[in-house]
Amino acid sequence: MSEQAMKPGRRVKALAGRLIPYLLAVVASFVAAGIFIAAMGFDVPKAYATIFFTSFKSPNGFVQTLLKFVPLLLQALAFTVPLAAGKFNIGGEGQLIVGAIGATAVGILFAGLPPVLLLPMVILAGLLFGGLWAAIPAWLLYRFGINEILTTVLMNFISFSLIDYVATAVWRDPAAGHPTTIPIGAGGELPLLISRPPLHSGIILAVAIAAAVYVYTNRTAAGYELVATGANPRASMVYGINVRRMFLLSLILGGTLAGLSGAIEVAGVQHRLIEGLQSNYLPLGLIIGLISRGNSLAVPFVAFFIAVLEVGASAMQRTMMIPVEMVFIVEALVLLFVLLSDVVRSASLWDRRQ
Amino acid sequence: MGQFEVQIVNFARLVMLALVPYVLASQGTMLGGRTGLFNVAQEGIMLVGASVGFLGAYLYDSLFYGLLLAMLVGGLFGLALAYFTTTLKMNQFVIGLALFFFGVGLSTLFYKFVVGVTLQPPLIPTLQNVPIPGLSQIPVLGDIFFTQNWLVYFAVLLSLFLYYLLYQTSFGLELRAVGENPKAADSLGVNVSRMRYGTAIVGGMLMGLAGAYLPMVYTGTFTEGMVQGRGWIAIALTFFGGWSPHLIFLGSLFFAGVEVLALRVQIGGFGIPYQFLLTLPYIATIFVMMFAFRWVRAPAFLGQNYDREKRTLA
Repeated sequence: MSEQAMKPGRRVKALAGRLIPYLLAVVASFVAAGIFIAAMGFDVPKAYATIFFTSFKSPNGFVQTLLKFVPLLLQALAFTVPLAAGKFNIGGEGQLIVGAIGATAVGILFAGLPPVLLLPMVILAGLLFGGLWAAIPAWLLYRFGINEILTTVLMNFISFSLIDYVATAVWRDPAAGHPTTIPIGAGGELPLLISRPPLHSGIILAVAIAAAVYVYTNRTAAGYELVATGANPRASMVYGINVRRMFLLSLILGGTLAGLSGAIEVAGVQHRLIEGLQSNYLPLGLIIGLISRGNSLAVPFVAFFIAVLEVGASAMQRTMMIPVEMVFIVEALVLLFVLLSDVVRSASLWDRRQ
Repeated sequence: MGQFEVQIVNFARLVMLALVPYVLASQGTMLGGRTGLFNVAQEGIMLVGASVGFLGAYLYDSLFYGLLLAMLVGGLFGLALAYFTTTLKMNQFVIGLALFFFGVGLSTLFYKFVVGVTLQPPLIPTLQNVPIPGLSQIPVLGDIFFTQNWLVYFAVLLSLFLYYLLYQTSFGLELRAVGENPKAADSLGVNVSRMRYGTAIVGGMLMGLAGAYLPMVYTGTFTEGMVQGRGWIAIALTFFGGWSPHLIFLGSLFFAGVEVLALRVQIGGFGIPYQFLLTLPYIATIFVMMFAFRWVRAPAFLGQNYDREKRTLA
């Protein structure tokens, strides 16, 4: 029976059936981590209050959360779009960096242009460079059948050297201690939505892109071919879908999304290239994508949840001296428990059938 | 010996030294892969191995305890991988990535809890060279091969032993059969899941050891992300070596050579920006993979879970 045909009561039940495992997984991971935090001699209720409420206690905290939400959302989509076709893109980090390099290069080389021209150019450069960086592993997969997990990761390491080179040798800002380039032209900066605390308009772009990805994968024929490829490559091939080309396309598409997140970091937040601007967005994006089980409707919500945890975690480290990595472990635990809930559910379905 | 010869001997010595983490991690990968279990958590397991190996050595003042602890934790990661994939039948790549995250997070968490944030990181002594009596006296060869730390000898002997085990014993035949056709192996009385548990745990221990080698030989301390992609390169290396112990050993020689070369040229200058030299190992890996696919045959059941209640494979 399709979801549209269900009565409202049943639809609520179905939704609850999907959400309850998530809630249980979150509770279970926080309980597990709480035992560990208590054993280390820290105040658990205070730590958790800091983690959950920092984002909502002040306008500053909320804006911080939104600023984290944008790259996390795009990184997660950069992972889930290829995942829909059954391919693992672990190269979002490198694609973000190279996208940011492209955006910065355009922003510096054409610094004099007015915003109407420069801003779209900066954003497009990010998309293009991210896509090109992903096209290398995609081509290696297409042409030689090389495992994409491996090549996308290796491309990350190459990008670390590339950003170091650009930030120390090409456009180095001599005034900065940390490897940093000179700022891009003012026309390349994303306009602010709120000036105090500053929130850039990249969030609108990111949310629009997320909506577009949802429509593409769930409501278009091309997107359906992508999902079908991931669900059953052999059947798709028999049906006439060029499976290898779908792999290629999905990885490049993922790369453009990651490249966009790099361009937004440059145009919206830093206004220049700073080494390390990729933060830990890659592992978090992967966790978000896997927790959402690749469902592009769930990705924004999970990304927001993780952004709240991340902002809370750095506040917790500042005020209570509990390392931020604690929250990373919690996030990995949530993922593990969500995955486990699948196993439990299929086992109980099996019992019922018996 | 002339200046040039001294340089060559030094280079060869460093290659033997840099060889160890590659050999240990990729032989560990190979063992799991030969039973169909594809571990992609190397980088995380090596990081955790580096962290607990360093901390163990620092707290107990003994490198041996550090190595033991790293192997123990690595083994636990292998056990977790085997449990989730073999018993619970979950996707190997997804679980591998999850374990990778755990490794990355735990490595820094342990270090911060034990050492805290300090300006001057604590140091441990590095592994001593153990010259082999007699053999180390041979000119040139003695310096290169027989005046090293004992983990270098271990890596070489391990590769020889695995070659013998896999190709000369019936146990090795059974192990390889599990990775090629678990149903056939099962019907001949081979315990598929026990075999997978075994290789996953031993493989994890080797990866933990490979991680612990880094602070104990290179830096004397733990730093965040210090494995620097060696875990991922180890996967490439395993492919490149066709999932065979002897070819993996040769491949490790090549990668260790590239690593040392990049370092040497960097010190020597030569006018090339050092950033490009740092990318050498990764670019070499990609190029090697482009050519390796022609001769490589991976285990047929690699990356898949075996369900004995299903009538068909996969």
